[in-house]
Amino acid sequence: MSEVTLNGAGVSGAEATSRAGVLRRLRTTDIVFHGLTRGAAIVVLLLLSGVIISLIHGSIPALGAFGLGFLVTEVWNPVTEQFGALAPIYGTLVTSFIAMAIALPVGIMVAFFLTELCPQVLRRPIGIAIELLAGIPSIIYGIWGLFVFAPFLQRYVQPALIDTFADVPVLNALFAGPPYGIGMLTAGLILAIMVLPFITSISRDVFDAVPPVLKEAAYGVGCTTWEVFGSVILPFTRVGVIGGFMLALGRALGETMAVTFVIGNAHKVSSSIFAPGTTISASIANEFTEAVGELYTSSLVALGLILFVITFIVLAIARYMLLRLEQRVG
Amino acid sequence: MNAQTSNVQQQNGAAQVAVPVATHAKVDTKGLPEKITIRNLEFFYGDSRALKGISLSLYANKTTAFIGPSGCGKSTLLRILNRMYDLYPGQRATGDVLFDGDNLLRAGQDINLLRARIGMVFQKPTPFPMSIYENIAFGIRLYERLPRAEVDSRVESALRRAALWDEVKDKLNANGQSLSGGQQQRLCIARTVAVKPEVILFDEPCSALDPISTAKIEELIDELKQDYTIVIVTHNMQQAARVSDFTAFMYLGELIEFGATETLFTTPRDSRTQAYITGRFG
Repeated sequence: MSEVTLNGAGVSGAEATSRAGVLRRLRTTDIVFHGLTRGAAIVVLLLLSGVIISLIHGSIPALGAFGLGFLVTEVWNPVTEQFGALAPIYGTLVTSFIAMAIALPVGIMVAFFLTELCPQVLRRPIGIAIELLAGIPSIIYGIWGLFVFAPFLQRYVQPALIDTFADVPVLNALFAGPPYGIGMLTAGLILAIMVLPFITSISRDVFDAVPPVLKEAAYGVGCTTWEVFGSVILPFTRVGVIGGFMLALGRALGETMAVTFVIGNAHKVSSSIFAPGTTISASIANEFTEAVGELYTSSLVALGLILFVITFIVLAIARYMLLRLEQRVG
Repeated sequence: MNAQTSNVQQQNGAAQVAVPVATHAKVDTKGLPEKITIRNLEFFYGDSRALKGISLSLYANKTTAFIGPSGCGKSTLLRILNRMYDLYPGQRATGDVLFDGDNLLRAGQDINLLRARIGMVFQKPTPFPMSIYENIAFGIRLYERLPRAEVDSRVESALRRAALWDEVKDKLNANGQSLSGGQQQRLCIARTVAVKPEVILFDEPCSALDPISTAKIEELIDELKQDYTIVIVTHNMQQAARVSDFTAFMYLGELIEFGATETLFTTPRDSRTQAYITGRFG
């Protein structure tokens, strides 16, 4: 066993031949294996470019008919075949903004509590609960939002907000109109709940990566917990937190089912966040079955292309941020 | 003063010292003001006892070194002095640690204020993720509202104090983490000094540094003791011998021997001290 001589020295001729055979077979399997893995990787690229190409191809009629005006037109009228993407783009950005404005601070606070302040016994249960939150299918958020959350907002929260801000300039336009229950605010809140686990789990990981001695040093000059968090931990992990934020934003931008349930599906740009609106993905999901005529279908595909581009940019930024963090930690 | 009353083992003492050991041990501490007095200190990590009945005094404007093999409790002892152990659940201390007569272990002690009065420099340099200037100004602003010009001058004097000013004065806005290891450590010392503490704790401050940076830091420690009481934990016995006035030798959570550095290194009274300083274990 000790002499593994491949060139046949010290082994008889017959043995050498059989060894060479084994080696050849091994080399063949190796080549096949290489080929398979490379093939799988290439399939991903092909799929991605296939999706992009068909999106572009499908949206050519709409973009040809409306040009860049498609992006800034609010009208969406299947009867006259006038289509514009402004309302869905606006709705997508507003709901995502609301979601991130709520989920980011809450998510970071939860993560900080879990890493720094939480008693050991509670750490696992809360961590698991957060992960379960990420595991709930979006359709469940949708029906819960429609049947439970929206009526609750309609009855208690929205009237109170409308009354409170009735006399404040600017804000009274933001919180105006009849409390429908469903609308952009409701969609934003549901999205906030859905992206919270992303922000929390990534923030938790990067907070955990802060060297303990750095925290001790900050406590050592007499910082309070809050000062250590704000002045040392957050600056140190900034890049990672931004990366997590971007990933969550990507999710919020593309989320379809839950949003479709609660946003109201109106192609309108309203200043009030209580007003029904629509998002890109909600429009597509709602309308593709009734889309007759080339221009209607093509307009929906063009919406898809716009969402693809927005999400792609956001995710690319997220990847870049996380990459930079890894370089610094590693 | 010495908790240890083990047998005087003169046969183990360095042969060239003719003076009786007992006189040596008593001599220097008379009349020195005690900055920190530790009495019957015990420390627990959960259920395991890491420090056993430690009693010793740290004298004002002197440098005291804690030496001993790894795991002997010297860093633990240091981290009690600014209550750093408070950050970790399950760690607790009993006994008395009197800091200017006030027991710093008592409940209700303002820990943030305490840590401003007892500063600490760590084994690894720990610049905060901000500019060199901000690293220093940060600590100052925690306690004092000062006009910009005054903060500037405090930053400069702290950096001068840490012998770093000439090297960084042209790049105060550069990130603190861009400095070399030795410079970072001096930045941390400057940061500690800027808060105007009364005591500075050094936890193996040179173990991550090259010999030249080490020499600079040691020089610095020697200067700093004019204004501060200094406690240093070190693995390096030559360093302890060079920088300290008093040395405490610890072993397995106990204080084996405490005395003037010169005495302890030339005529140790305990055989374990003797064995450690001659490099037979640890």
